[in-house]
Amino acid sequence: MEVNWLHLVPLLPLIGAAICGLVGKWLPKGWLYAVALASVLLSFCIGVTAFSNLEGENPQIHELVYNWFAVGSLHVDLGFTLDRLSGALVLVITGVGFLIHLYSVAYMDDDPGYWRYFAYLNLFVAAMLTLVLADNLVAMFIGWEGVGLCSYLLIGFWFDDDAKAYAGRKAFVVNRIGDFGLMIGIFVLFTATGSVNFAQINAAPLTLGLASAAAALMFLGACGKSAQLPLYIWLPDAMAGPTPVSALIHAATMVTAGVYMIARLSHVYVSAPGVMAVVAIVGCLTALWGAVIGTAQNDIKKVLAYSTVSQLGFMFIGVGVGAFFAGTMHLVTHAFFKACLFLGSGAVIHGLYGEQDMTRMGGLRKYMPHTRATFAIATIAITGVLPLSGFFSKDEILAQAWHTRAFDFLTLTPSGESHLTWLGFVIYAVGTLTAGLTSFYMWRCYLVTFEGEYRGGTDVHPHESPWPMTAPLWILAILSVLALVLGLPESWARALHLESFNWERFTDGMFAQVRGGPPREGSLLLGFGIAWVVALFGGLTAWTLYKPGTSMTGDERFARAVPAVHRAFVNKLYVDEFYGWLILRPTWRFAKALWHWVDATLIDGLFVNGSAQAVEWTARSARRFQNGNVQRYAAVLAVGVAALVLVFLVRG
Amino acid sequence: MMTIGPVHYLVLGAILFTLGAAGVVLRRNAVVVLMSVELMLNAVNLTFLAFSRFPLVQNAPMQGGILQGHVAVFFVIATAAAEAAVGLAIIIAVFRSRTSINVDEFDSLKF
Repeated sequence: MEVNWLHLVPLLPLIGAAICGLVGKWLPKGWLYAVALASVLLSFCIGVTAFSNLEGENPQIHELVYNWFAVGSLHVDLGFTLDRLSGALVLVITGVGFLIHLYSVAYMDDDPGYWRYFAYLNLFVAAMLTLVLADNLVAMFIGWEGVGLCSYLLIGFWFDDDAKAYAGRKAFVVNRIGDFGLMIGIFVLFTATGSVNFAQINAAPLTLGLASAAAALMFLGACGKSAQLPLYIWLPDAMAGPTPVSALIHAATMVTAGVYMIARLSHVYVSAPGVMAVVAIVGCLTALWGAVIGTAQNDIKKVLAYSTVSQLGFMFIGVGVGAFFAGTMHLVTHAFFKACLFLGSGAVIHGLYGEQDMTRMGGLRKYMPHTRATFAIATIAITGVLPLSGFFSKDEILAQAWHTRAFDFLTLTPSGESHLTWLGFVIYAVGTLTAGLTSFYMWRCYLVTFEGEYRGGTDVHPHESPWPMTAPLWILAILSVLALVLGLPESWARALHLESFNWERFTDGMFAQVRGGPPREGSLLLGFGIAWVVALFGGLTAWTLYKPGTSMTGDERFARAVPAVHRAFVNKLYVDEFYGWLILRPTWRFAKALWHWVDATLIDGLFVNGSAQAVEWTARSARRFQNGNVQRYAAVLAVGVAALVLVFLVRG
Repeated sequence: MMTIGPVHYLVLGAILFTLGAAGVVLRRNAVVVLMSVELMLNAVNLTFLAFSRFPLVQNAPMQGGILQGHVAVFFVIATAAAEAAVGLAIIIAVFRSRTSINVDEFDSLKF
């Protein structure tokens, strides 16, 4: 269906950003908040209207805003498509975005840069909406870079702190590595299919080589944006930004852009089964990696950051094993509960006047009942305890990994046997282990923060946050419970008459089918049982180690039992140091050598100062001729004339 | 008796010009330098007149030479008068500020 109003969805936040950024400083605070919130809320309302207009088989609403440019065979339009996937994401972005805007009103009220903050936040929402609504790769790339820019601006929001400005820069540079891959991938896809339009790319037949090249290159972009190994290092540092930013950008929306992009290009990815395997393996390793580091962090936001890295890994497992619907479903549910967790941590930090160290918290349930309750609900959701949303979405991913046939295609032998059937199971096993770790570190985080006795300074009086902060917390907590309807197994959903909400049915026909065929049948209850036991086991371990009243905290026991391992975990497995040794130091040295030899010696020394010195030296010898003595001039003149005359006489 | 031809005039002019040029280059007294310039101008005048009297062009339009040389000489004399007036005025002005008319000392016009 062609419409002419879809562009309003990203345009309204963009207008809001322009107003906030250009005149926000001089507007009364209330007006500024009204502009910032209303633009996102209106955008949400339009999104809801559009979403409710989606009817029929694989429906979509499309708007061609204008023909952007055409060069040779390259035609790029600015066009927006709202189908069931992008529609759901529009609702998540504007809905969660609005809640976080509301929360920010209270959180950022004291900050002198509040107008700048809301301008960036609105700009982010506009860019993110462009990213998901774009109907072609180039328009998506605008959004992709736009969210990267806003992420950079908001991580370094308090730029007078060097460490925070550095964190913003780090995020930008690491993302640039990924974006390089994404751009080359776009070029490859254009060369191969002659179009940058999603619909045409997905319909075009691709050879294995081209599909693999494009998919692998674009996965590099996804690795950067979605914080996967080996490019995840920017995300934990991105916690330097204000906490609502961490919730919106670095948990709920922007970091899931990579998952969205892969799901959007599912046809390209299923044409490249090898890359699918790489995606799944990278996702699997990242999930484990993030969870392991998360177990030993003491900064509450760092725990959540590593948790996000880990959960994004789960999403990549989902899309990597060909279960695009499972990956995107986890994207949606994760947006709810992780935003809730981040906002909860923000409320804690706000209530403790900027304290982020969990060892100086504890016992906050007394002071912050709302925060504690919502944090607990979101923790239950993320740890995957039946029947909250995180359980169904994560378990769907793991079940799909277990039974996937995506990798069968990869090694089909003439006899029809596959040698890679074990890969799915290994991913499932590692994923389940990670789920246990998730449960452990999240309950550790909850117990250390909210249970026991308060361990902070006596001069800090913890207090509950005002309603603009607690209301979004409750809404998100309720959503992370309600989102379970997305993932209910079909038999259960039918029994409860909720099958119309089922995400797999909802997105049916949107994604490509893997070439190996649909996943093998597996026992539903066995998977559920294992997941439940694992989640419970992780939680119980956390309870044993960190329950209130234990004489020694789990961290100390851990440190005493295996000090080297504990130190490695606390130091984030020395990845930053490793990259520093492997990449930063050689680059630094190379840059220094370039500066010294090329810049300082060659350009400054030889070209710039050298030419000046040559002129000066020539002038120094030439100035002897100009001694001010008129008679000397006359003599030279006379001799010159005489010489000329002689020359002409001799030559005749 | 020897006939005085154009070559005699030209040699005399050359000698006068050389003496004048030597005076301009070698003498230190600014007034003498000015006088030497006059000598050079007059050497040129003599040459002009010599060529006017003994034109190199065949079939000269009038008996006894052509008039162009005379006209040029008038211009030179007029210019020389103006030049002498300006030159002497400059020398007086310089003498007032430097109490000297030694051209060796007037070398401040340099880098």
